[in-house]
Amino acid sequence: MKEDNDILKTIGRSDGMTVPDGYFADFAERMAGQLPQRPELAAMNVVAPPASLWGKLRPYVYMAAMFAGVWCMLKIFTTVSGPQQLAPMDKNPVMAKAFGSDEFFSDYVLDDVSSNDVIDDIMDEGIDLDSLMLDFE
Amino acid sequence: MAEFMHDNPKLVERLRDPATVREAFGEVIAQYSEPLYRQIRRMVQKHDDANDLLQNTFLKAWSNIEYFRGDARLGTWLYKIAVNETLSHLDRERKRKGVSLDDQEASLINSIEADTDIDGDMLALRLRKAIATLPEKQRLVFNMRYYDDMPYDEISAVLGTSVGALKASYHIAVKKVEQFFSDGD
Repeated sequence: MKEDNDILKTIGRSDGMTVPDGYFADFAERMAGQLPQRPELAAMNVVAPPASLWGKLRPYVYMAAMFAGVWCMLKIFTTVSGPQQLAPMDKNPVMAKAFGSDEFFSDYVLDDVSSNDVIDDIMDEGIDLDSLMLDFE
Repeated sequence: MAEFMHDNPKLVERLRDPATVREAFGEVIAQYSEPLYRQIRRMVQKHDDANDLLQNTFLKAWSNIEYFRGDARLGTWLYKIAVNETLSHLDRERKRKGVSLDDQEASLINSIEADTDIDGDMLALRLRKAIATLPEKQRLVFNMRYYDDMPYDEISAVLGTSVGALKASYHIAVKKVEQFFSDGD
């Protein structure tokens, strides 16, 4: 960004303002003389105390406490709501009734099972496919 | 960076020691009186007002010296106080005269034209009038950047405005000043 244009370069950085003669010569002295006494400063701990061990560790302790708090909250939520979510389906009376129904199985479960899955299950069970074929003959 | 913005660590250390604070503050006054005066005067234009505000700035700094713990630069801290004092003064003046921000521009230009504490540089005087047409915050930014050559991050610390916004503000201010001179030619 071209910040200062030609006219500003021509003018330069002088603001052209002056002060009465000797204004700054004794300003500091005059101003220092006007400062009120502040005896309370002597009693105050104006100088910063050296950082204590607790001062250095405090941020890390706070951070650890925060993580511990989050962990505790998660643990509590899991304890309170977890068992209900993880209960087996046959413990749920509605689901148990549904699974006990042949109609439910044929309508909702068996339709989702492919023939390949059935064959895999049969082989896993160690049943000879050829013997099954003989049964059908 | 402007020379006066450099902190002297030993001076800061003495300001934090009850045994040396008063003497050290005297050195602070000597070091910062001129740059702070100029910053104030560029906003209020009149020497008498600038003088009063400069004294108020140092009195306020002295009465709060125990809260300066060296986290910020000493110069930044003093500039903040000076800027707050100046803006409060301009606000009080507007209320006293019952004028708006826009009307105050005319009042400032009148003060510049009536100013006798000048070195006769007519271009510099015209630039002061051009700056007086800027909005208050833009004037502050322009003055700190142009006259004092303050880095944007220092101005940001004083005014509490982001560096990006300050750059944009300064750029717009420069364009307005340029336009002021173009219109006058």
